[in-house]
Amino acid sequence: MSEFQEQLLHADEERIKICRKYLSGRNNQIIDQWEDPDFGLYYKIDRYGFIHTDKLSRDFDEQERKEKEVEIQRAQKWLKMVKNWNKFKETNREKLQRRIYKGVPDKLRRSIWLKLLNIENQMSQPSDNKNEPSIYNKMLLLGFKYSTEVRQIDNDINRCFRDHEYFRERYSTKQQQLFNVLVAYSMYNMELGYCQGMSTITAVLLIYLDEEEAFWALNTLMIDKKFAMHGLYIVGFPKLMRYLANHDKILTKFLPKLKKFLDKHNMDSVLYSLKWFFVIFVERIPFSLCLRIWDIFFLEGERVLPAMAYTILKLHSTKLLKFKDMDAITDYFQYKLHKNFGYTDNFVIKTLEISLNELRTRKMDLPPPSDNIELPKCELGTFIEPTIEKKLGLRSSCFSDTEKNVTDLVIARSEENGNSLDVIDENLADEMSNLNTVTNISDYEGELSYMDDDLDDEITYTNSHQNRKSLTCTSITSISEDRRSISTLNQQNFEEIVKDDDGEYRFKELISNSIDCNT
Amino acid sequence: MSEDFDLLFKIVLIGDVSVGKSCIVTRFKTGNVFTERHTNTIGVDFSMKNIKIGNKRIKLQIWDTAGHERFRSITSSYYRSAHGVIIVYDITKRNTFLSLQKWLNEIRNYTASNVVCALIGNKCDLVEGREVTIEEAEDVCNIVPEVLFYLETSAKENTNIEGAFTRIAEELMNRQSCIDDENQDGIKLGQSKSISNGNCSC
Repeated sequence: MSEFQEQLLHADEERIKICRKYLSGRNNQIIDQWEDPDFGLYYKIDRYGFIHTDKLSRDFDEQERKEKEVEIQRAQKWLKMVKNWNKFKETNREKLQRRIYKGVPDKLRRSIWLKLLNIENQMSQPSDNKNEPSIYNKMLLLGFKYSTEVRQIDNDINRCFRDHEYFRERYSTKQQQLFNVLVAYSMYNMELGYCQGMSTITAVLLIYLDEEEAFWALNTLMIDKKFAMHGLYIVGFPKLMRYLANHDKILTKFLPKLKKFLDKHNMDSVLYSLKWFFVIFVERIPFSLCLRIWDIFFLEGERVLPAMAYTILKLHSTKLLKFKDMDAITDYFQYKLHKNFGYTDNFVIKTLEISLNELRTRKMDLPPPSDNIELPKCELGTFIEPTIEKKLGLRSSCFSDTEKNVTDLVIARSEENGNSLDVIDENLADEMSNLNTVTNISDYEGELSYMDDDLDDEITYTNSHQNRKSLTCTSITSISEDRRSISTLNQQNFEEIVKDDDGEYRFKELISNSIDCNT
Repeated sequence: MSEDFDLLFKIVLIGDVSVGKSCIVTRFKTGNVFTERHTNTIGVDFSMKNIKIGNKRIKLQIWDTAGHERFRSITSSYYRSAHGVIIVYDITKRNTFLSLQKWLNEIRNYTASNVVCALIGNKCDLVEGREVTIEEAEDVCNIVPEVLFYLETSAKENTNIEGAFTRIAEELMNRQSCIDDENQDGIKLGQSKSISNGNCSC
């Protein structure tokens, strides 16, 4: 056997070993003590399932209690809305939007996400043969056999939301589901494969959705034009680069003093905003606020991202300007804002609405469109032969041209930011008025009430009203057109694998058998 | 801005996914905290620590990079201004040691030629799972001219973590004083202005 064959065999064995562990779950295997975090001393699980090792403050409890109370009051209205979703969507869009901005009751989040991401339609695709496994199951089966991303996915699951009750235990049911969804998706969309960040996104989806639903939700986020996160994650991160450039422009225009300050401290936005865009603010702002952003993101699409990034900086500008070094600034962005954002969720959402409106007026709500296509070029479900290095699980030796360009671009960015201090001066005067806007909203905060829909109409500041009008122009889902291509999957490939099944379809065993065949 | 240090060094940590780069940084920074479950580093994380060597106050800027290959286009752009690079591998995963060549290539392509390099084999507390011997790592150290020294560390048990950073800082300090002696205009280190102007390239 040649050395190459040996290495390939080793890589295969490793993949199979990992897949087996996830198939077995927590039972039927010895789990190294090292794999499970020690939470013997935890005090409390918050309403979203996160475990806090510090005792939560009384304020925190009080806030949770209030939130729940409001949600119970609203639940009836929401239930009605979910029941008549299609009708409601057509005739009462404005109300739907208003309600989502005010906060989806946590109990109904699952139903609302399923609706907003059009999951049910994607899952109920007609199939010719009832015994035939779903696209998801086919992809999962293929993924277990061929995915070259298994190692990376396993690594990331091992450190994803380990402070959450669902993901705390190694190989728990949710960890298994997370593994399955990511492995299956790495096969379904092979141009993208797997990129760090996707595990976090999928884990949040799995807190609310079931396995197969999460798969389709992930797919929607990646390939639906409304979100098109595919371009964020593929090699070279083309969409991220456009977002960063736009973000810099927004700062130069609206927060020039802060921009100058951040540049002076070499705080390139690459250093603080990557997670904002990659994982939609998860672990950078408190989870309750993050969910509200996700709800609005699902409704409005990607323009929420630049607006929220701007909102964070707008709200914290005064504080940030006082920091003396990069260390303090980084700490603030990475940890402090996650622990305590300093403003109530409702207030942040109101500010976000204003930001959306400001950016839209200046046509900066989205970066200029890309010259290149940032969506999958091949049909989804097409098998793309991985490179030898990928099969072996080794880093490729050379940087591709795309990668080289990105490196140059990032270097150029930081140099340019150093040189752009003059342009910024011109915008400084504007910034003062922007900061005033923020102060103005805080005047309103005490008066705003989120207890009832009808009160909404009485909120007086005009920005928000204009904003809502323009919100009605955006579409809720545009995925159904895109889904057509999926039905023409590369059938042959899957049939080869599923053919042996004699009538009754037993998926788990099938996978087990198929990896056995490989060994 | 007040100068609270005499020298400033930028140190970049690189290495395969999950070898423990972020754990090493956290352990070094906090001294007594080991975070068993770090989230994955997306792009680059940044932190600072002040140390004292002799009578010199040294500020270390530590750049912790994502190990995931897809991010290398972003992380490599942070190599070029580094004074020191720490390559980390996991002694219990041979693959992470075999990647060394690739990491050295990236260093050669993207850092300054006089960068100081250290090799660290992390997770040395996991004795039973060892897949890379100390001798192998020392061989690399002898053969590859860039690699100045090799150390085995455990972020979990706080073994050699501070030592690794101190040693690399000492080496940088020695080089710095040589340059000062020869009155060359090579590395511009120290002075708080190197932070504010971003002139800390070498």
